[in-house]
Amino acid sequence: MTAARVLWLNCRMTIRAPKDFWSGIMFIAFAATAMLAARGYSLGSAGKMGPGYFPMALGGTLGLIGAILVVRSLFAPGEPVGRIHVLPLSIIATGVALFGIMLEPLGLVVALIVVMLVAAFAGRDSRPLEAVALAVALAAFSVGIFVVALRLPLPIWPSFL
Amino acid sequence: MDFLANLQIGFGVALTVQNLLYCFAGVLLGTVVGVLPGIGPVTTVAMLLPISFTLDPISEMIMLAGIYYGAQYGGSTTAILVNIPGEASSVVTTIDGHQMARQGRAGPALGIAAIGSFFAGSVATLTICIAAPPLAAIALNFGPAEYFSLMVCGLIAAVVLARGSVLKAIGIVVLGLLLGIAGTDVNSGVRRFTFGLTGLADGIEFVALSMAIYGIAECAINLEKKDEQAEVTRAIGRVWPTWADIRHCTPAILRGTVLGSLLGVLPGGGALLAAFGAYTLEKKVARPPRTFGNGDIRGVAAPESANNAGAQTSFIPMLTLGIPSNPTMAMMIGALMIHGISPGPRVMTERPELFWGLIASMWIGNLMLVILNLPLVGMWVKLLRIPYRLLFPAIVGFCCIGAYATNSNATDLFVMAFFSVFGYLCLKLECEPAPLILGFVLGPLMEENLRRSLLMSRGDPMVLIQEPISLTFLIAAVLLLLVVAAPAIQKKRDEALQE
Repeated sequence: MTAARVLWLNCRMTIRAPKDFWSGIMFIAFAATAMLAARGYSLGSAGKMGPGYFPMALGGTLGLIGAILVVRSLFAPGEPVGRIHVLPLSIIATGVALFGIMLEPLGLVVALIVVMLVAAFAGRDSRPLEAVALAVALAAFSVGIFVVALRLPLPIWPSFL
Repeated sequence: MDFLANLQIGFGVALTVQNLLYCFAGVLLGTVVGVLPGIGPVTTVAMLLPISFTLDPISEMIMLAGIYYGAQYGGSTTAILVNIPGEASSVVTTIDGHQMARQGRAGPALGIAAIGSFFAGSVATLTICIAAPPLAAIALNFGPAEYFSLMVCGLIAAVVLARGSVLKAIGIVVLGLLLGIAGTDVNSGVRRFTFGLTGLADGIEFVALSMAIYGIAECAINLEKKDEQAEVTRAIGRVWPTWADIRHCTPAILRGTVLGSLLGVLPGGGALLAAFGAYTLEKKVARPPRTFGNGDIRGVAAPESANNAGAQTSFIPMLTLGIPSNPTMAMMIGALMIHGISPGPRVMTERPELFWGLIASMWIGNLMLVILNLPLVGMWVKLLRIPYRLLFPAIVGFCCIGAYATNSNATDLFVMAFFSVFGYLCLKLECEPAPLILGFVLGPLMEENLRRSLLMSRGDPMVLIQEPISLTFLIAAVLLLLVVAAPAIQKKRDEALQE
């Protein structure tokens, strides 16, 4: 066991409100990212707020709230975090990103069928044939409604065809 | 006389064939998503935003509004017949509504829900007509300091009314503000938080963010729940309640309407809070009280009236001040802004046809809903047989199309993927996302108003408490925080929100 792991196990015993603890960590992470990014924006002064003024103020506030949450979670008891189901969530999120990658080169029909089939994977009781039928039907419907009727600027077919 | 002239403008707009069609489409879709558990008005409005940009702004508003209040009608159907709230705001309706259904009185329960909703909707529409013009007139005199303080007050109210820990809700609001100001700063041209991605130059796309949280993350959460095979009450029977029922319910409907109208106006309020509040009130004041929980028809009438009243009056702060009271309103503000209309007190004078047309359409929409819901209830019940395994890939697919179509920008899909993971974590950590959406919409406005007020006072923050109206808002915000921090009240609040 490494030293870090020992430290972590010790910490975990003292976290009494895991939901608050992890919310606090999440806030601190966002605040730190924001304040690091905002370093480069000029602060200005209160009377002449620069582009960095409001982000810095918000980042500071968010970090402070996160810190309070983390500290408080070590003392005040709270609920444990429910089980995080990583797989379905990451499958769906990947599907969404795939749609973003495929839409412009491959067109709506291919991208939509792919994202729906990928998403169907995330469900426990999805049936393959049914999922294919649904994806094809929805692709036809979407082309009809969104592209033909509503004239949204979406490519239908792959651009190389 | 003004009042009648305004209504005339409104009905003139709302009664055109095109707008009647969009109103009908809205309430129909609202009923469908209201009936279906697992998909709600927020998701639907988010999915429709990019499509509706191609419409004329009036038709768009009419349709989106129809989805919101239509869902309140549809939600009660599922609550009564299946004991599952089709919509969050119909949670309390399940208590007495489903008991009535089990006693073979599903018909009257559905009937009184629709009648109460229609009555409440009509009263609330009138309330908007009467309350909105003077409120807008006051708001016209607001300077940047007043606006800033008003937004602070609104966000604090949303925090106080959110479920769960107040501190976490404040954190979520601040995070929302921070996400909201990403993109090119209007004053300096500096690109903030774009991390070198040109696709983020215009900021984080509102449609992508809200669909990520209310569409995709919700899907992931719903997939974890057991797919309950809905046990539908078959015998609905006569839908029209007896006169005795109606007389019995009249005070409950009246109280629900008044309370719902009031609670709807509060930021963070809207339909959900209204329904909870009305049911709690009814249990306290109605005589005899013991029958609640065992199929008391008043336990259906009061919350159903209240949630519809609240859904309608939550348009008041949006239309007069440009302040959203809940995520759906935030989306309507987003929709207006894309059309180049900045919501606020000027909309009423500069675009009266938009304002009054929307209000008139609400009354017409409520009438359509009664007709849609009472005779056709059997059809809606069939919708409940659609299994979730077919529903969720379709939701994901539509969200993707919507996210891309808003700006034809593939980056928005990656933004959506990122925030769906974020939204999932928020839901798991009990950080309610509604305040995030409100903060996101208000972020740029708050920064701009703070900048202007401090510019005028040469950097002196005292300007915020020197203006009496601004001071009032800030005091209200502090009082709200103190009230919720007081332990006794905190306990009460938890009980009330949990019940």
